[in-house]
Amino acid sequence: MNRRQFLGTAAVTFLAAPALLRHANAQEGPFRVKYYPVASGMGSRDTTPAPDGSIWFCGQRNGTLGRLDPRDGSYKLIDLGKGAAPHGVIIGPDGAPWVTEGGQNAIARVDPGDHKVTLFRLPEKEAYANLNTAVFDRGGIYWFTGQSGIYGRLDPKSGDMTVFKSPRGRGTYGMTITPKGDIWYASLAGNHIAKIDPATGNATVVEPPTPNQGARRVWSDSKGRIWVSEWNSGNVSVHDPADGSWKAWKLPGSNPRTYAVYVDDKDKVWVTDFGANAILRFDPVTEKFNAFPSDKAGANVRQLDGRPNETWGGESGNDRLVVIQTGAPA
Amino acid sequence: MQAFTPCRACHSLDPAERGLPGPNLSGVIGRPVGGEAGFDYSPVLRKAREDGLRWDAKRLDAFLADPAAMFPGLWMSMRGIEDAAERQALVRFLEDPSSR
Repeated sequence: MNRRQFLGTAAVTFLAAPALLRHANAQEGPFRVKYYPVASGMGSRDTTPAPDGSIWFCGQRNGTLGRLDPRDGSYKLIDLGKGAAPHGVIIGPDGAPWVTEGGQNAIARVDPGDHKVTLFRLPEKEAYANLNTAVFDRGGIYWFTGQSGIYGRLDPKSGDMTVFKSPRGRGTYGMTITPKGDIWYASLAGNHIAKIDPATGNATVVEPPTPNQGARRVWSDSKGRIWVSEWNSGNVSVHDPADGSWKAWKLPGSNPRTYAVYVDDKDKVWVTDFGANAILRFDPVTEKFNAFPSDKAGANVRQLDGRPNETWGGESGNDRLVVIQTGAPA
Repeated sequence: MQAFTPCRACHSLDPAERGLPGPNLSGVIGRPVGGEAGFDYSPVLRKAREDGLRWDAKRLDAFLADPAAMFPGLWMSMRGIEDAAERQALVRFLEDPSSR
């Protein structure tokens, strides 16, 4: 489906909700913050931009995958099945959104054309995996985490799936892939990050220097450095696998709680802070933060993603999507 | 107890196990909401504690049906348990150590 076709179908599904727009009072800019209200009570959380310009987003509380047209704020919700509780969504090499669908303990593919849902269920012995986050590797294999303490691989072509036990048990959370193709995950309850060997499926644990830091999510920059959101410590940290080094920065404020991390195409680092109810931009060159507090309490942005000049998140507590524009959309 | 399996990613019932992403759930029934000493709760749960709310079986059952409906802005993120029997079994499991 091309953009024109998508916009044609989306327009009839929901009355366009006007996006709320305001200029951020940021220290560096120009930045523009826009909010997009979505369905009440849906728990809009992880998002990802699609090649056709739309934004896919997970409704963890109502079991749907949403598709937003940012041009007019209209959106469509796709029911993923009984008891669905989607956590994360990414775009596959086929252009389709792929979802870690914890409610049905399955990986879900949603066809971007007809919105047909295909489920790849985890084996019975891996019930209640608490599916979390995923990446595609360069060979088209889908790698995923489950917070119960697993990670796995799915070959979308054959449907073959292998599930591995995380070396230190529960907590397996965020996941990222480096430009070289290395796959890393973070363990929130396990307080570490780990690198997966795609050939064997084995994971090697790497300990951040801050004890009990609560490494929740990870994102690679263009040089293959792994940025880590540390929930317990309130830090954002970076590990360079090339030399084994670490650096960490405490987020501003009295009680930061770092939840999400995303690195944009200019290698600027974006995090969310539940303590400050804000999205923050961190410049690794100047080591300065820009803060973008939500205009509503309890935003709870649990994940960030983006495309050139746009950083996107879901305000899961407010049933809105948010975008911070750093220039004209690409 | 299968219904508690997803909870184990963040919570423990072992009173000695602390420092997990979620509060320890040993003895949760009868405890004030947001009542584990030293745990950094969501603002909405801190307020519930200040308001004097306590966990009993009825409140826990309603919470598990849709946690974010009872406490909007809750940091914990999960879809509620729609099946009443499953929910009540989980409440019993949390309430009575001999059922574990």
